[in-house]
Amino acid sequence: MAPARGLTARLLLAALLLVLGCSAEPRSSGVTLVFKHAHIIGPVDPIPSLLRAFEADHPGVRVTSESLPWSSDEQHQFYAINLEGASAGFDVMMLDLIWVPEFARAGWLLDLSPFVDAQGLSPYFPSAASAATSAGRVWALPWNMNAGLLYYRADLLAKYGLRPPETWDELVADVQRIKAGERDPRLDGYVWQGKQYEGMMVNVLEAFWASGTTLLGDDGRLFPHPERAADALAFLRGLIESGISPAWVTAADEELSRRAFGDGHAIFLRNWPYALDLFRGPNSDLRDKVGIARLPRRTPDGAGAGSTGGAHLGVSKRSAYPELAVALARFLTGARAQKDMMARAALYPTREALYQDPDLVRDHPALPRIHTLMLAGRPRPVTPHYLVLSTTLQPEFSAVLVGIKPARRAIDDGRRRLEHFLGSAR
Amino acid sequence: MTRRERRLRRQGLLMMAPALAMLGILTAYPGVYVLWLSLQQRVPVFGIAEFIGLGHYRFLLEDPRFWTAARTTAVFTVASVALEAGLGIAIALALRSQQSLQRVAFSLLLLGWAMPGVVTAKMFEWLYHPAAGLVNVVLAHRALNWLGDPGLALPAVIVADVWRTMPFVAILAHARLLSIPSEVYEAALVDGAGRLATLRYITAPLLRQIVLIAVLFRTLDALRAFDVMYVLTGGGPANATETLTIYAYRSLFQMLQLGFGSAIGVIVFALVMTVTFVYLRVLRHEGVTT
Repeated sequence: MAPARGLTARLLLAALLLVLGCSAEPRSSGVTLVFKHAHIIGPVDPIPSLLRAFEADHPGVRVTSESLPWSSDEQHQFYAINLEGASAGFDVMMLDLIWVPEFARAGWLLDLSPFVDAQGLSPYFPSAASAATSAGRVWALPWNMNAGLLYYRADLLAKYGLRPPETWDELVADVQRIKAGERDPRLDGYVWQGKQYEGMMVNVLEAFWASGTTLLGDDGRLFPHPERAADALAFLRGLIESGISPAWVTAADEELSRRAFGDGHAIFLRNWPYALDLFRGPNSDLRDKVGIARLPRRTPDGAGAGSTGGAHLGVSKRSAYPELAVALARFLTGARAQKDMMARAALYPTREALYQDPDLVRDHPALPRIHTLMLAGRPRPVTPHYLVLSTTLQPEFSAVLVGIKPARRAIDDGRRRLEHFLGSAR
Repeated sequence: MTRRERRLRRQGLLMMAPALAMLGILTAYPGVYVLWLSLQQRVPVFGIAEFIGLGHYRFLLEDPRFWTAARTTAVFTVASVALEAGLGIAIALALRSQQSLQRVAFSLLLLGWAMPGVVTAKMFEWLYHPAAGLVNVVLAHRALNWLGDPGLALPAVIVADVWRTMPFVAILAHARLLSIPSEVYEAALVDGAGRLATLRYITAPLLRQIVLIAVLFRTLDALRAFDVMYVLTGGGPANATETLTIYAYRSLFQMLQLGFGSAIGVIVFALVMTVTFVYLRVLRHEGVTT
């Protein structure tokens, strides 16, 4: 009996030590930060090596990166559910810049003003910096940059002795001239994004700006010039009716239109800078045939401005290590990290100085030109209500583009619906 | 009730308690909560939470977007379920007379059914491509704008859904056909029944119940359809393919209007319950359920 009792005691002791050992282990390994971001498409994902570099600078800190769902809608849904609930599963998060004011208003983001003063945002594009601030406070740091560009077939324009169009009238005339000369039934004029989604909103906003108006006036009024907005929408519909744009643009997103142009079936294209790297890539038929320009203007007081977009980094208000999380966000939006992301994944920097960086310009000769075009860009309305605006207006604008609603009525209907949703929020 | 019966009953209730509690937590509680939300103006981003009674329902009553979505849901449900049932039965009948290729045909059917909705939708996006899509190439290079024309988008979405879910009906009907004893058909042959008469007086009545059940399942799914149109068209163009569930999703997760979105959710729920109730009456009448 006695030996057996000894064995039990020894087993108990071993178990106790095991349990103690287990519980002591994680405490000594330090802090883990979670970085939530969209998967980066491209040959090389620059994120892991950047995170390792941050860890090397901060001994005892581990950073894990977690992927967000693929589409922007699902990312927004993910954040809304996780941040409204009590979950604090992540510290630093990638945000589409149109969400920043909304998330700030909801109290989901840490106020970065104590860490970043007004000077701290000066290296960034002004439009990106303005999207990161609201009510005089800084809520996010600009991470990568996007702006709408006009792509054109330089070879075709040169063949007919044309220069890139500065006004929409010129673009229409160029399309008519080239199509008449080429006699290619598969060649379309101008392709853009008219599917009922956020990309269409961007195209419509650019038409508003080109026509000297906007969606949200400086005083916060919706449709400050309704007749001009209606005129701009009717113009977009007119592009389809007159055959300058193919009818399928009403179902087109960035990729569909990019492929049509990339296959040589269109003269002009509106798209983001990512398309340039694909058109000039080794597998492209259009390697030396693509030019980029500022989007045209319509009226003398209008501005040919591409909409700016891109991703910002915010820090969750529920982060257990706010100071380290801010340090990580600053590191990832810093010059070194942004240069790395441009070099390896062609993610365009938000820091203006990098567009003149000799190493980057050597591999991407178009950078200085893109810098000028991005500076001309304008942000979408910076308001916590942006998604309500966009979701409500998308079907109205789409109805105009497919020709089942007059432009003026769509604007009035959209405004009426928005009053119902925003009435109590103002 | 004797003491023994009472004890057994108590025991039974005790055994059922975990399942009932689970059902309560997972179904009843969220259901009641959504109903409660639908009576409020609730926008957490702006810190708005006020009780407005039937305000959202009153707005929806006169909301053209809601009625368009309701009509789209109805058209989608009736058309897709009718096509799925018709094609499903036809394919089950064709499968029965197949000898050599039955296994291959069966695998292909299962493949369509097993594919995730989003994958199917992505595939159809390319099939419908205006210039390079197979559909337009087959139609003698017509330039039909399938997903960008408000008149064509809903039929295009219905076809994609039918392709994906028709195998469900076909497989159920096929299983039922297998269980019909061959003696029945031999007797019919002896009695001099032709092919049409056999189909009408033997096959059709024997298939009836299983098809009714398949149609019930398909109807409930179609009323809540989401993924196919969400991926293919996002509800567009001009909301031509926006169903009630897409409208609810946009209100809830994009506009973060929890009260308003919940009100649409409650209406979808009521709709599904009503349809289920009617079907169950029919099925009971048929003697399928008690």
